[in-house]
Amino acid sequence: MYKTKHAQPKITDYDVIVIGTGSGGGVGAHMLNKKGKKVAVVEEETMGGECPNYGCIPTKALLQAAETLETVKRAENFAIKVSGEPKVDYPALKAWKDKAVWNTGTHAGEASYKEDGVAVLKGHAHFIDPWTVNVGGKRYSAKKFLIAAGTKDFIPPITGLEETGFVGYREALDFTKPPQKLFVIGGGAIGCEFTEIFSTFGVEVHIAEFAERLLAKEDPEIGELVEALFEQKGVTVHTDSKVVKVEKKGTQKIVHVEKHGKVSKVTVDEILVAAGKIPNTDLGLENAGVAFDRRGIKVNREMQTSADHIYAAGDVTGGYMFTHTANYESRIAASNMFSSLKHLADYRAVPRCVFISPEVAAVGATEAELKAKGVHYQVGISATGWLGRANTSQEDTGFVKILADKKGRILGASIVAPRAGEMIHELTLATQWKMKASKIVWTIHAFPTWNQAIRSAANKITCR
Amino acid sequence: MSHTSHIVKRAGHTEPYDSKKVYAAVFAACLAVREPAGSAELVADKVMKDVNHWIQKKHEVTANDIRRQAAKHLKAYNQDAAHMLLHHRIVW
Repeated sequence: MYKTKHAQPKITDYDVIVIGTGSGGGVGAHMLNKKGKKVAVVEEETMGGECPNYGCIPTKALLQAAETLETVKRAENFAIKVSGEPKVDYPALKAWKDKAVWNTGTHAGEASYKEDGVAVLKGHAHFIDPWTVNVGGKRYSAKKFLIAAGTKDFIPPITGLEETGFVGYREALDFTKPPQKLFVIGGGAIGCEFTEIFSTFGVEVHIAEFAERLLAKEDPEIGELVEALFEQKGVTVHTDSKVVKVEKKGTQKIVHVEKHGKVSKVTVDEILVAAGKIPNTDLGLENAGVAFDRRGIKVNREMQTSADHIYAAGDVTGGYMFTHTANYESRIAASNMFSSLKHLADYRAVPRCVFISPEVAAVGATEAELKAKGVHYQVGISATGWLGRANTSQEDTGFVKILADKKGRILGASIVAPRAGEMIHELTLATQWKMKASKIVWTIHAFPTWNQAIRSAANKITCR
Repeated sequence: MSHTSHIVKRAGHTEPYDSKKVYAAVFAACLAVREPAGSAELVADKVMKDVNHWIQKKHEVTANDIRRQAAKHLKAYNQDAAHMLLHHRIVW
């Protein structure tokens, strides 16, 4: 805990300075502005932050292109004749991705803020004292602060990686000529989504994950199924493996992968590092009395930091690192900042989606978490292959798994299905409000929909 | 560096960033823990470069920020010297 001796100034330039214009900052800035507060936002990079510019939106645009390519390839299953082999036009693909980013409106973000009366300060923010930040060489003071500075890529300390060269996901979004062979380091959500994109486009992909399965934070069924699906597509999956060395040979790159003490070599054209993110805490936080560690800024459930007048939201707090949680935390911070009625963050039902094909989604507790807490739980599982919708879509891989307590109250769920990202919200609602599985069973589900599998899984839970 | 970074001193006044002071402080910290002079010079040079890189995008930082950054990088070469730099006033 850092102690500061600075007293609050009587007059400040702003009521609130928000550092970062992504979901964690922008939402709160607009809320505070609507409450009549004098607000300034600070942005060092692109207005709108990670999600619309380099994260969720551009990756989903590329994943939609991949899904469309798959659909065209399968068109004959549905009696649609396609002449010629469908191909990816990379310059046009990049143009489509850029259009999707443009459509989010972030390019107009600065003007939009200014129209609303919010000042936009461009540059890096650095606290000089608890009430003052320096941005672009000028000092600005405020009564309160909301820090939502986001994250940067974590680059693992692999021998030869810097010298050999690699790309991060930002660069991978802008490939106009794809590599023939790609090695993805990291089997989390980002690594899996890029594996999906490039393997569908015909790139020979290797993916390495340090844990014993892909998407290791989720229940084992998910990672095991995703691995099998990737292998069906021709992806080489290296789980329980560590990239120990990288070297350059001509125009190619040799990746040394260690598994159970044995090292194998894989020759590729490019390496994509998707090994996680680290919070941007290089903001002079010590000068402001804000406690943080390598995982991020420490906040309480009110999103308040160790300095009472400074709040933090989004990825910089090291929590879930989703746009929707950043948005939620930003709303909580903005609500609590000037109010005696406090809102508390509640993470029992955070939906987590990975937009591969079929999609993966989960909410609430995993089995590992329940076991660690010593909770007695029951499991209801239903495959999706028997559904009428699976028949008409010719997509028979997937399942719904529901975890519930002894009384049948839903604690968490996992789904692998073509529309899992949409389906999960029925179970998010149930988890958030601790509903019994019987409530889902006695709710009419439309036929033929993927959600019928949720009703089927819920029917396997005993409610008391 | 496209701009001159300034250091906010403990008393509140500012002065331009001077990388030689970082070098001198790190060098002194190394000598204080019995690092040979030649090695101390090399380490001080490396740490000074790291701090110069860190400060590039910043217009104004505090003297304590500089001290913490220098100690963070110095820790990779000599933990005792880093501790000395962080917790004892040498030439700051």
